[in-house]
Amino acid sequence: MHISWDMTPARLSARRLSPETRAMISRLRTALIYVVLGLGALVMVAPFLWMFTTSFRPVAEAFTLPARWLPGLDSGLESYRRLLASDVPIGRFFWNSTVLATSVTLGYVATTTIAGYAFARLRFPLKNALFALLLVSLMVPIQTTLVPLFLLMRWLGLVDSQWSIIVPGLTGAFAPGMSGVFGIFLMRQFFLTLPKDLFEAARVDNAGHFRTFWSIAVPLAGPQIAALSVIIFTMTWNDYFMPLIFLNSVNQMVLPVGIMSIRDPVGNSSATSEVIAAVSLSILPVLLVFLVAQRWIIDSFVRAGVKG
Amino acid sequence: MAKIANDPAAGWFSPQNRRETIAGLLFIAPALIGFAVFVVGPMVATVVFSLMKYDLFSSPSFVGLANFEAMLDDRRLWKVLGNTAFFAVFAVAGNVGLGVVLAVLLNRNMSKTVQYAYRAAFFFPSLVGLIFVAVIWQFLFQRDIGVINYYLGLVGIEPVRWLSSARNALWSVIILDIWKNVGFAMLIATAGLQSISKDYYDAARVDGSSSLRTFWQITLPLLSPTILFLLTMNTIGAFKVFESIVVLTNGGPGDASRSLVMYIYEQGFKSFNMGYASAISLLLLTITVIVTAIQFALSKRWAFYE
Repeated sequence: MHISWDMTPARLSARRLSPETRAMISRLRTALIYVVLGLGALVMVAPFLWMFTTSFRPVAEAFTLPARWLPGLDSGLESYRRLLASDVPIGRFFWNSTVLATSVTLGYVATTTIAGYAFARLRFPLKNALFALLLVSLMVPIQTTLVPLFLLMRWLGLVDSQWSIIVPGLTGAFAPGMSGVFGIFLMRQFFLTLPKDLFEAARVDNAGHFRTFWSIAVPLAGPQIAALSVIIFTMTWNDYFMPLIFLNSVNQMVLPVGIMSIRDPVGNSSATSEVIAAVSLSILPVLLVFLVAQRWIIDSFVRAGVKG
Repeated sequence: MAKIANDPAAGWFSPQNRRETIAGLLFIAPALIGFAVFVVGPMVATVVFSLMKYDLFSSPSFVGLANFEAMLDDRRLWKVLGNTAFFAVFAVAGNVGLGVVLAVLLNRNMSKTVQYAYRAAFFFPSLVGLIFVAVIWQFLFQRDIGVINYYLGLVGIEPVRWLSSARNALWSVIILDIWKNVGFAMLIATAGLQSISKDYYDAARVDGSSSLRTFWQITLPLLSPTILFLLTMNTIGAFKVFESIVVLTNGGPGDASRSLVMYIYEQGFKSFNMGYASAISLLLLTITVIVTAIQFALSKRWAFYE
């Protein structure tokens, strides 16, 4: 049988059904969509809920089924106490992650912001050619340059030091998981949207280029800089690949590598409770930032997409 | 065009332009130097190393195209490449397809608070480190003590060997990937939806077009540039799959779920075949370039630009 678009239920209903019935169908459909979305949202949240609940359960009962989804009255800090009492230097991992992510973020954001400004607002020779060259490098996966990068860091004596990851970040070459060009491109797009008059006024006042950048462009770019910082901080905090290669001794490890190093084969429930407590602690900073700045983060992602 | 103080005709280093030229070059210098030292240099070195045999300890020796010839005979390489392609196809289809559907469903008129709550729930996993969530999912996927099998059991499904069976291992990684990344695709698709003019939808409503028909005939064509962008970014990302597999299955059972990047890492940093690892890295780069080139070619023919 040939089915044409005109025979879809909605089309039929538009012709035959009373307005009241149509309104009811529409309400039912909306309700159905809410329910489906709600189930989906539950699936997204459930693993985190399971993790936090489990981390607060007595170690002996951590993996008993059926899983409970809310911490009960018997909930406790046993897993966390064991984790802190063990030889796992979780505090050290936490500190390393904080130092690493903060330094990379500060350096990367500063370097890419000023470069983005120059590419958007200043005129100098080879500008367009250099920008095109940078854009091409967006395609190069970090994995492709891994072997020489490792040898370079070894030659510089930076292997097993946080500097092996901080230095490329400081120069804005790349942050973990993120090409340096991303930041330059994002900031350039922003600075291009600012009206020319602002900068003409500064020029009339005979302000230097750095002063114009610092006192006019940067304050206006506040939200954009903050959004870039959040992205780079979380990417660095979460990254496993670069620290796996460059940071090997226990004292230098960051959280993702540290957690992998203490992970036991599943089944040994006291050690696994400690792992779950460690993962909960590792996710906490990202969760807190997200809960505080949720709307703003989502909006800035949506807006960044629009600008493309 | 507005009057610009800097006039190239006067020469970049004329007194009038010199300050701006110097400032511009200084402003981009840190990024450019970093780019040369940490991206371009290593890139060139990768090509050189791919022609060498080097184990980190003895000095490298030139072997010509031997590494590339070895690639052709390396069954494990083809296996991991096949795994990676399989993962890419299903993970990308799932992420982009579900992401677009979610974006469309959430783009209707609803309470702003409810809308943000849904978006937040779907998006949050994208912000969390893959290692962290993979460790959680490794517990959920357990055969006997895992929560997933427990709930499947309630509806009468036999316990599934999510991670230990060759048939399921890669699917488990795909499920985790979609769970983690679908929210990101959803947000980018939402951005695309919001740039579509409301007029099209008003016209469709006047015509009495059903919502499904509106989706196929208006939303999808107008969203095609966004979808194309998502497909490209997700495909390039999928070819780098690494962490989730390391945590969930460590590439096993056998090589059933080993990926290309895992193989590069193992060849380079466990077996110390730096030359061979470099040669395989170039394969990864080639794939990335091809995917990007296809997007460029397609975007002219397929994507609909307003």
